Amino acid sequence: MKGMPSTPEGRRLNRKHLTRLVIPWAILVIIIEPFIWFVLRNHLPPGHMTDSATGIQFDEAVVTMTGSPIVLGVLMYFGYAVTVWRVPRNAPLEDGPPIRSNIAVQAAWIAITSTIVMSMFVFGTYELVVPAGSGGGEGPTPIWTPATHKILPIQVIGQQWRWTYRYPTFGGFETDALVIPNNTEIAFHVTSLDVIHDFWAYQLGVKADANPQVDNVAFTKTQHTGRFVVRCDELCGVWHGAMYNYGQVVTPSQFMAWATSTEKKLAPMTKTLPPVNYAGYTPSANGAAGGYYPAIDPFSKVEETAVPNGKAVEDTSALRRTNPSQRAGAGSTTTKTPTGTIKKPTTPPVTNTSGKVG
Amino acid sequence: MAISATASAGLGQTGGPAPGAASPARGSRLNVGTAFAGAVLGYLFGHWLGNAIVSGDLYEVAFNTSTNNVAIFLALLFGVVGWLAGIGALNYPIAKIMGKEAPAEIPEEGWARFLKFTLDHKVVGIQYVVGVLMFFFTGGLIAMAIRTELLNPTSHIFGPNIYIQLVSEHGSIMMMMATSIVVGPLGNFLVPLMIGSRRMAFPRVEALSFWVFISGLMVILTAFPLGGFQTGWTGYAPLQEQSSGGMDSYLMGFGVIGTGMILAGFNMAVSIITYRAPGMRWSRLPIFAWSMLGTAGLLTLATPVLFAGVYMGALDRTAQTALFVNAHGGSSFLWENLFWFFGHPEVYIMALPGFGIAAELLPVFTRKPLFAYRVGAAGMIGVGLLSFFVWQHHLFQSGINPDMRPMFMLTTELISIPTGFIYLVGMGTLWRAKIRLELPMLFVLALYFNFLFGGITGVYLSDVPINVQVHGSFFVMAHFHYTIMGGLVFAFFGGLYYWLPRMTGSMMNETLGRIHFWMMFIFFNLTFFPLFIVGLLGMPRRVFEYAPRLQTLNDISSISSYLLGFSFVVFTINLVWTQFISPKPAPPNPWNSKGLEWTMPTPLPFHNFSRIPVILSDPYRYGEPDALPVADFGEIAAATSSTHEGLAGAQPTSSGTEEV
Amino acid sequence: MADAPGLMEPAEEIAYETRCAEGAIWTGTRLLIGVIAMAFAGVGFAYFYLRSVNSEGLWRPHGQTAPLLLGTEIAGAALVGAILQSYGLFRLRRGLDLDWSVATWATAGAGVLGCGLQIWELTRLGFQPGQSGYASLFVAWGPLSAALLLVGAYWSETLAARALRMKSAVAGDGGLSASQLPRARLFRASAEGAAYFWWFITTVSVLFWLLFYIV
Repeated sequence: MKGMPSTPEGRRLNRKHLTRLVIPWAILVIIIEPFIWFVLRNHLPPGHMTDSATGIQFDEAVVTMTGSPIVLGVLMYFGYAVTVWRVPRNAPLEDGPPIRSNIAVQAAWIAITSTIVMSMFVFGTYELVVPAGSGGGEGPTPIWTPATHKILPIQVIGQQWRWTYRYPTFGGFETDALVIPNNTEIAFHVTSLDVIHDFWAYQLGVKADANPQVDNVAFTKTQHTGRFVVRCDELCGVWHGAMYNYGQVVTPSQFMAWATSTEKKLAPMTKTLPPVNYAGYTPSANGAAGGYYPAIDPFSKVEETAVPNGKAVEDTSALRRTNPSQRAGAGSTTTKTPTGTIKKPTTPPVTNTSGKVG
Repeated sequence: MAISATASAGLGQTGGPAPGAASPARGSRLNVGTAFAGAVLGYLFGHWLGNAIVSGDLYEVAFNTSTNNVAIFLALLFGVVGWLAGIGALNYPIAKIMGKEAPAEIPEEGWARFLKFTLDHKVVGIQYVVGVLMFFFTGGLIAMAIRTELLNPTSHIFGPNIYIQLVSEHGSIMMMMATSIVVGPLGNFLVPLMIGSRRMAFPRVEALSFWVFISGLMVILTAFPLGGFQTGWTGYAPLQEQSSGGMDSYLMGFGVIGTGMILAGFNMAVSIITYRAPGMRWSRLPIFAWSMLGTAGLLTLATPVLFAGVYMGALDRTAQTALFVNAHGGSSFLWENLFWFFGHPEVYIMALPGFGIAAELLPVFTRKPLFAYRVGAAGMIGVGLLSFFVWQHHLFQSGINPDMRPMFMLTTELISIPTGFIYLVGMGTLWRAKIRLELPMLFVLALYFNFLFGGITGVYLSDVPINVQVHGSFFVMAHFHYTIMGGLVFAFFGGLYYWLPRMTGSMMNETLGRIHFWMMFIFFNLTFFPLFIVGLLGMPRRVFEYAPRLQTLNDISSISSYLLGFSFVVFTINLVWTQFISPKPAPPNPWNSKGLEWTMPTPLPFHNFSRIPVILSDPYRYGEPDALPVADFGEIAAATSSTHEGLAGAQPTSSGTEEV
Repeated sequence: MADAPGLMEPAEEIAYETRCAEGAIWTGTRLLIGVIAMAFAGVGFAYFYLRSVNSEGLWRPHGQTAPLLLGTEIAGAALVGAILQSYGLFRLRRGLDLDWSVATWATAGAGVLGCGLQIWELTRLGFQPGQSGYASLFVAWGPLSAALLLVGAYWSETLAARALRMKSAVAGDGGLSASQLPRARLFRASAEGAAYFWWFITTVSVLFWLLFYIV
């Protein structure tokens, strides 16, 4: 039958169409790939302010270079098919060649897609593990950590609807300005006082969910000075859209000057804050988790579960907040007045201090 | 249980009313009006009951928050029960307690049957068309309201509170709609016709699924008067606990819709497995039925987990449990896990039917057999299975199981292999074809175009490092609109243009249809493509304020969204004009399809087939002049050998344990 | 036309569709079990998840436990139901319709009893819902367990009631256990499904009994 794939005529047609498709595609790919690598890559977000941002930019370029030949090929194929094999709508009905399958094409398709997928997986995993989690939230006990021990820890606290930052290595003062030194490895310990937020420092290439009672650590290493924006990236209520502020990467000496002076300036206020505790900053039973729960006194005796994980350097006894009202007067930076239905505030159970202080 | 119930309904056209049947052999008088009455009565009763039983600690909570969640939940629950009782869905389950058997169904004529609880899968299919369009247009109007707010980065039309309610409602309504948009209308209508069956396996379950589905829309809309909910469609937990009374509508609404989804999928899966005509082997099953089977499997097995999740959320808000409260021994991660364990299979619930329609329509308009049929069917089942193992890719930055991220990255990327099969099928079928660009074909080609971008951006999202950049941004939002709207909704409208002549006997207007298509295609892309860029440039989802430098892109998107909305006005005019006002009778097989569903007369007989057909072939035998017809209705006395072989292959054994 | 090879006679069509309906009951039972199993799997996942997370050390302080005796009775009711329903089916296959009826009514009674005990237990807990992860999850699981037992009871009860009404119709055809009428065959398929389903209820009840009371 004329045009069947097995006939010489069918094979000739197959070759003809394949050639017409592949050659222009190959030419375009040869043009596009260097364009992506040399031109587009440096303009891809989020820039190169940190090593994680640079890594993300690199990954985006690689994935784009992998994906664009595919997109281009498929689009060209469909365009070619519709132009070349289209018949007029009023033409008499005529059937095409009954090609039901082609083992070679199917096997090649599966082999090629599987190869691409597996290499993407290996590449993605390498890019995740090697730059210490690539700026993403790694939970309370990160396993992919930076090689250096000189890490500046900063606690990022989300609450409805603002970000504040504590500097544990500078006496634990709390500000709403995020200032970080250049050329420094930074560990963001992200947590929340109420609902789930998401700390997204756009230009830093850092993103980590802020969960109440959970320490979510994200690492990055700064490379350039400049200003960056911090946005909340997880819907956290009515004013979610307004929950953003700005930070700055400054030189290490500027940072030291700023940090020491701020520590001194805020010292009276810092005294009223609870000690830094990455996982347990949120008061438990006083209704800060939305003020919804009546404070049922669960047990007369609170079980002691505080087990420092070895890395923690603080005295666990200092973590015990014996009086929740102490926090209520903690100053303008962290107060969110609980509006719930508290019958009797009770001693919150001591939480486990799985966070580490650098 | 329903199992024993419905299967005994009148068998074929020959089954008369069984002795001792539950109701007299005439149509029920219950209709949508009594259903509304039942819903209102149930709502009032539930509200009274909820207020009556709240005391003690609960009273204090209700007093202090000025919201009695118990009353809201009970009102909604009894409202739904009243609605179902009012439509007559509960008559038979109650009659069963007295040992009554199912009454045979009497064919009804006229418009009234579309407003009733009916066991005819063809009527249910058309009810579903109207139902999903109601959902779709409600959600679409809300979407345009969202885009209106985003016209300007800082001036506000709705303000943050109304805006976030609109976003949440839009997401919820559209997600509810998308789970049923194909399974409901086209699946229920076409699957029995395609598999050569006279009925669905459980017609009462099928009808119940529709009326539950519709009540879901009403439940979710009650959120507006109750203060809305601020959580988006994902309903993340601590915010869920804190959110106002509309949150109860969200939890109840997803519980109700989930029930409907389970029922619909249950009936669909069992029907395809057990009610195939003789000779309808698995290798002859139309690819659309394969996609329905895959979808039904996901609906039945993933949705119960969502049900468990919203149930726990409801308890947290009413019975004062602390399942999602970290401070009291619960975990907010629990909700995220339960929700996405359902949520990700749901993504494929919304993708597979679109693939099925595309693959079903391609052979008709290319006049070629479906290329690599087996690979396509295997791909659909493969996608379904893999989709249960990817859910944590929604939680890459959440701090949940960070060490597992490479594994979830792997499973997520693996799923692109079976998804890619649909491109293999499509491109292979187009090869040297005789392509006829009829209206439904345009929608199919648009699906391939849109899903290409939706799929390739999915690779960015699955790569954990890039996910750091794009998670939770407008990039994600554009990505899933490209897959769900660009894939599923385009396929649905293509399928509707294709099969409406089969369903109603009237053609849609070609010119209006083409205007609809081109407007929808162009403005869909103009609405959502800029949002990829907006997301990459740092705009999070669900915000009412954004950086002023992103205004141009947002405005392009907003203005295009109005024109996209207008394309559906064109569609509606077309639908109303050609189906109701001035119907133009369609030829019996307007697209010259070889599908079994086109072999029957119009209008379709009550029991579809006067004789059970014997399937001789798959429906894709284009270009094979000496091929057997798809089925033997008695006119063909040939091909006896393959017939008998086929008959033996598809019959269930007497114990019902047929090969599955 | 009617004698075209391959097509079935109307009588054969009824037989064919009856086989389809029997198959639907068989498949439907298994799928229904899958549906309910996934819902309970959600609860089971919550159990192990909350237990491993142990937020604030409040998963299960002081080893608090729901009333063990009541819990054991509830799981026992499920087990008794399953045994009775299977025994009934065994007798039905032997042609002993009456034994089946008695066993099935008793099964329905066991289901209702278990459901009632479960609800009563929820009012007899030594803890409040929000006190701990365990307490919350128990309060969440209780109603589900009661509902599951009630579903089993409903299935058995409807079958038993249906058998009563069908008795005279199938009497001339060999009775419930032997009649080849479509309705009798579908009835037997459903009875078989019920027995299978009751074992599923028992599995779920015993597993969660182990989790909540024993472990």
